[in-house]
Amino acid sequence: MNRQGLAVQLGPLQLKNPVMVASGTFGYGQEYVDMVRPDLLGALVVKGISLEPRPGNPPPRIWETYGGMLNAIGLQNVGARVFVEEKLPWLKTFAVPVIVNIFGNTLEEYRSLAAMLDGCPGIAALEINISCPNVKAGGMVFGTDPHMVSQVVAMVRSATALPIITKLTPNVTDITVTARAAEQAGSDALSLINTISGMAVNVETRRPRLANVVGGLSGPAIKPIALRLVWQVVQAVSIPVIGLGGISSTEDALEFLIAGARAIQVGTANFVNPRITLEIIEGLQTYLQRHGFSHINEVIGSLQLSESSTD
Amino acid sequence: MLLKNAPVLFNEQVAANLYHVGFECPDIARRVQPGQFLMIRVAREFDPLLRRPFAVHRLESACIEILYRVVGRGTSILAGLTPGDSINILGPLGRGFRLPSGGGPILLVAGGIGIAPLPFLAEILLAAGNTGPHYLLFGAGKAEELVCVDHLEDLGFVTTVVTEDGSSGEKGLVTDHLERWLDGQQQLPVLIYSCGPYAMQRKVAHCALRFGIPCQLSMEALMACGVGACLGCSLRCKPPASETEPYYANVCQHGPVFTAEEIIWEQC
Repeated sequence: MNRQGLAVQLGPLQLKNPVMVASGTFGYGQEYVDMVRPDLLGALVVKGISLEPRPGNPPPRIWETYGGMLNAIGLQNVGARVFVEEKLPWLKTFAVPVIVNIFGNTLEEYRSLAAMLDGCPGIAALEINISCPNVKAGGMVFGTDPHMVSQVVAMVRSATALPIITKLTPNVTDITVTARAAEQAGSDALSLINTISGMAVNVETRRPRLANVVGGLSGPAIKPIALRLVWQVVQAVSIPVIGLGGISSTEDALEFLIAGARAIQVGTANFVNPRITLEIIEGLQTYLQRHGFSHINEVIGSLQLSESSTD
Repeated sequence: MLLKNAPVLFNEQVAANLYHVGFECPDIARRVQPGQFLMIRVAREFDPLLRRPFAVHRLESACIEILYRVVGRGTSILAGLTPGDSINILGPLGRGFRLPSGGGPILLVAGGIGIAPLPFLAEILLAAGNTGPHYLLFGAGKAEELVCVDHLEDLGFVTTVVTEDGSSGEKGLVTDHLERWLDGQQQLPVLIYSCGPYAMQRKVAHCALRFGIPCQLSMEALMACGVGACLGCSLRCKPPASETEPYYANVCQHGPVFTAEEIIWEQC
């Protein structure tokens, strides 16, 4: 699927199309290889990796809500060593930029992880996860404090020559503050949003649906919120923004691109339709043709705000 | 793993809230093994959002059959489908039942809708030349929920039924009966296959371990992806031989069939 006019530049990253899979929704690529050949994607963001393996939170970990799902997985992952030795060699056989989502409990862990992955061929970029709502240490604690955002990004910047993308949490009063903090500390791009904190209760047992009590809400239900936040951040920073949050169709993807996102990530929708990313890539191509655009760059940031353009 | 649209061939109510659906899907039918499952998308839009996991109940040539209980919005929509409607299926998924290597008595234990994957297993056991004898212990809330008994008896399974209200067979829980049943056997089963609610599975596993009988259990969990990507359907398991720490297995990927020894029952 070699699509014309879909290539995008994301800071130092060149993508053949703007459609990526979001961390934590596509495993390490192998899980969906029967459905999606990784090299058809613009980029593949792998499940969040920490320095040491993490067992994750006790079950139940997920709960379906109206138009969305809550999760409290707790960053279960194989750890950096196993990722590099057992997962990366397979991923490297595909011509797809592999973006590694990294997570640490401390600043030093972020630094060590970035330094370790810096020397590994086959990694195109790091996505700094400072926005997971499901872990007690690190995670969102880093992402909600602009000072901590600066420190984490600067620490990773000092440890790696790889492009870095900072993944922002929506669970803040003003996301443009943390966005600017990440930009000023040296982030090459931003991705947003991570899940929105939420919870659900079983009224018969009067117990929480998730063992962790609270979890992160994702899926179509959060799309308007994500779109608004992406729009706000695009106005506030100069670095490229990757939009995600409930994107489940070509039209959803286009909304984010028109609002100014240079690329998009598909998350929960992969679970519903494993081939949705390929359908979106196809759909973007069709949209360009239908509107007489020669390149997706003509669509990105093309939101019409004047009165005459409203329908 | 395949993603297919499949036409519904029949969708019949077999008890108060139990349904039996068959749909045509030759490509998945050719590949599926007993104990494996399918992720079915019942809605075209996003309500309900996620696919629903269902064990394969029976296979009749290109027709895949599922037995399901209506418990929420997804299964309610499924129950409303009629012949000619189409459903979207991802499968076959997971690690199914492993067949015994030798001969000897086989015991199936089912609790309620846990009967669902056992007829397919029973048919494959017989097709593989397993001579048995074959037994079924089946517990349900009331008599009308004891579906498929005739079919398994026709296949040669000696069946004992237990109901919570005493409307058929002995009154009580199937797990109460299991220990007495094993005590009364001159020749213990060489393998127990079990499917049912978590509390039942825990008791079946403990009983099998106490009698020293290998036991395979099909476990249920809430799932989002069905392929090991979301890590939502976790089950606390003992460490593999090369490791020391317990881990969370994915029911979708490492199961849904586990052995009694693999699961850390106390911590679940």
